Amino acid sequence: MRWTAKELDMYSQSKEYVDTVLIPLVPLSFGGEMKQTGSMNEFLTILSLEIEKQMKGRILLMPSLQYLHNEKDKVERLKHWANEAKENNFKHVFFLTSDYEWKKDERELENHLIWIPAIPLENLEIDQARGMIGQQVLQILDIFTYNWKNEKK
Amino acid sequence: MSKHNVSRRQFLNYTLTGVGGFMAAGMLMPMVRFAIDPVLSADKGGDYIATKQKVSELTAEPTRVDFSFKQVDGWYESEETNTAWVYKMDDGKIIALSPICKHLGCTVAWNTDKANPNQFFCPCHYGRYTKDGVNVKGTPPISPLDVYETKEKDGILYLGRLKPHGEA
Repeated sequence: MRWTAKELDMYSQSKEYVDTVLIPLVPLSFGGEMKQTGSMNEFLTILSLEIEKQMKGRILLMPSLQYLHNEKDKVERLKHWANEAKENNFKHVFFLTSDYEWKKDERELENHLIWIPAIPLENLEIDQARGMIGQQVLQILDIFTYNWKNEKK
Repeated sequence: MSKHNVSRRQFLNYTLTGVGGFMAAGMLMPMVRFAIDPVLSADKGGDYIATKQKVSELTAEPTRVDFSFKQVDGWYESEETNTAWVYKMDDGKIIALSPICKHLGCTVAWNTDKANPNQFFCPCHYGRYTKDGVNVKGTPPISPLDVYETKEKDGILYLGRLKPHGEA
């Protein structure tokens, strides 16, 4: 479900079924990496919407967490978001990003980081881009189903 | 001058009737147009969308068919891609099922649950549907999958409107 009034209504009616939150992490920069962050933003937006479409009934897609590329306390901020979600009965909190910086903090994020390099979509034909996104979505869905299955045991 | 003189009274009568007639027509025409509008627009062909799937290549095994179309979503128009699970029945009838789970809207897939082969499976809450799209009792979904209207033109599969199960 998306973070819109209508879909959050749907969420509050079926809370017991939605136990997973997905937070895209998008870096911003005005310097040399400006274009790169734009590329990541584009890629993560499309990718997260596709994931949401496939798993609408169990995943709540949050608006992305944006931060400046040199921001010091971004890990703290993210933990705050995650804790808030956990306190509100979300058993699984996942982060989706293309920014390599987060890899360093992976341990602190308790293995819930999905890091996937951004495809420069602006250089691709629309059909090609769709195909590639589709494949990545399938791989990410596997991560979710794996986590859900293991929770059952 | 001419033999048939037009009196002032007659002249005014003609002009008034003429002008009045135009005014009445101007008012009535849109009303009539509104009244018969449903009749005029009903025959638009039901908005069928062409897929890339050849009908001759369909089998009894459900195949994933993607198709895209323009959709106006609130503020902006976007190109939306949808999927259907399509197969051919023994009598040649084509069935195109919507992949949207009737439980909470996840996307179901064919034959992906190893424990329950030859069924549609929803990965979110393990809902299942038989091949004809009917929900398996005891799993979360409470109604069967929706069905697309189908049409064949020049050997290509066209998909139309989405209908509740049993109506397309």
